[in-house]
Amino acid sequence: MHGVKRVHQSSEAIQARKLKEQAKITEYLALANDVLSRKTSEDWSLEAFRLTTRLLRTNPEFYTVWNYRRNICLQGIFPNSSPEAIYELICEDLVFTMNALKVHPKVYWIWNHRRWCLNHVPEGPNESDLQGWKKASWERELAVVEKILDADARNFHAWSYRRYVLASMPVSRTEESELAYTAKKIESNFSNFSAWHQRSKVYSSLCESGKLQFDQFKKQELELVRNAMYTDPDDQSVWIYHRWLMGAGDDSELLLQEITAIQELLDEQPDSKWCMECILHYKLLLLQKHSTIVDVKAVSEECQTLLKQLKAIDPYRRQRYDDLAAAVLRL
Amino acid sequence: MADTLLISHHVSYIQKLGQSQDELAYHLTSHLRLNAIYWGLTAICIMGRPDALSREEMIAFVMDCWDDNAGFGAHPGHDGHLLSTLSAIQILIMQDALDKLDVNRVVSFILSLQQPSGVFAGDSWGEIDTRFLYCAVNALSLLGKLDLLDKEKTVGYIKRCRNFDGGFGSCVGAESHAGQVFPCVAALAILDRLDIVDYDTLGWWLCERQLPSGGLNGRPEKLEDVCYSFWVLSSLSILNKLTWIDADKLTKFILSAQDPEGGGIADRLGNMVDVFHTNFGIAGLVDLDPVYCMPAVLIEKMGLRKGWTALERRQITSK
Repeated sequence: MHGVKRVHQSSEAIQARKLKEQAKITEYLALANDVLSRKTSEDWSLEAFRLTTRLLRTNPEFYTVWNYRRNICLQGIFPNSSPEAIYELICEDLVFTMNALKVHPKVYWIWNHRRWCLNHVPEGPNESDLQGWKKASWERELAVVEKILDADARNFHAWSYRRYVLASMPVSRTEESELAYTAKKIESNFSNFSAWHQRSKVYSSLCESGKLQFDQFKKQELELVRNAMYTDPDDQSVWIYHRWLMGAGDDSELLLQEITAIQELLDEQPDSKWCMECILHYKLLLLQKHSTIVDVKAVSEECQTLLKQLKAIDPYRRQRYDDLAAAVLRL
Repeated sequence: MADTLLISHHVSYIQKLGQSQDELAYHLTSHLRLNAIYWGLTAICIMGRPDALSREEMIAFVMDCWDDNAGFGAHPGHDGHLLSTLSAIQILIMQDALDKLDVNRVVSFILSLQQPSGVFAGDSWGEIDTRFLYCAVNALSLLGKLDLLDKEKTVGYIKRCRNFDGGFGSCVGAESHAGQVFPCVAALAILDRLDIVDYDTLGWWLCERQLPSGGLNGRPEKLEDVCYSFWVLSSLSILNKLTWIDADKLTKFILSAQDPEGGGIADRLGNMVDVFHTNFGIAGLVDLDPVYCMPAVLIEKMGLRKGWTALERRQITSK
């Protein structure tokens, strides 16, 4: 149970509630038992299908009933239906699950059922456009997922589902349009790490497929990050993404440039933990990977100073800072 | 606000759960029953009260959940699933009743769910998740059947879920999430492949989950929640970096989420309690094995503990 306030109830109030619930329990159990016994007797009728609708409306987490509903379709309804009828039923199930998601946006089983629906959209509507229904359904799906992400921009079910939809669409979206989407989500809230994460994945896939080089987007990304840092220097999301941009720290020029830039922000915000943490991390990379081009003694001392400051302003993580200080001494 | 662990309250809260048939919520959560029994049993075991629930009844119930088509369901009449199958195995082991189990059938059910990519599906409908992969690895290890698993393929999938921040997600491409970091890291610990983990980066990401309240969140810029105390703590424990967070502050946070009247622990102060948060709250405080999420003494006795140490008992027991 998440985020539900505990209210103190008198024993009379509890008794009254239980009494009121009794009728509901009887009705619910009668329905659940009816559905489960039909399942056991392999009842694949339309009537059984309608009963699963009623039951799932009350309890969308009843995974066994979702399974049964799909078996009714596969064993009973689909074999005797035209493609038009199958498509219509699937569209109805997509509406049904959309309404369920509005109330229960984090129930795995509802998301699963949508995947199944989309994978069972038949070919049609006609010979000349066999992919027509599929294309339309997947296009609509992307819009659905965006609606859910509008309501909760961090819903990880929705983000995972979004990646699934993007990978499954008969007509793929371009990576550029996904970059535009993540930019929109980030600009409306810099603290949305899910969107930053997605952005890193899109860029990574563009780089891996050879369509893009890091240097082609480096400048623009650093600028986006810079804006976010200055807007809210206490927000972790942007700093974590910055670390991704810096990668393993092989580019010493980039490290030096970013240390200088973040130092400017730190001068303005002398208590900023994340400025210190990042400068420290990049200086450690300088020591580990570029010891020939930096003054090792001076940089090590700067690291120790930063670690002392971090320990003072962020005492919960003091032991990590101590461990790092010991590691610097060993370098 | 309580500053000790209210053991007798929590034990009586867990005992009452099985007798709440007059509450609608009891019936609406039947799809989680076997998991709930595992949470409740683990909690009473680590609180030193293993006899607080009837052993015979529990074993009979578990066996009633057997689904002839596929492993254990969460409740009699429900479909088999990997999540409830692991719970069933864990309960039978804690109750020393593994002789009831047709080990070969369970093992072949589990192995049948591995996908060509190396990940596991939860059931034949095909939902995949690194949580299911962990369930499979944990269960096979508990049953002494890990040698039947294609380890390379399994580890290969976890590796592909690793993100630049050191964490792991629910599937390839997914955002790092403490609730997914735990199953991935624990599976790697069982498979002796912690070399896949970037200790410093993941340790950093995990310790940054602690917020000023002392509580831990599951992802950057999210709210703290008691259940993450176990996911984050156990992962840190496996990496031997438990000292990277402030354990006293976390203890206070968990204790503050207790219901000092009815017992049980909520996600955070002032909220409704449930058995899931009760178990994972207590788990963050006392002798739990961080890999198998079962009483540490038991895992030690079975000879399954490797390089990691149990989550120590903190000084919070009620007098």
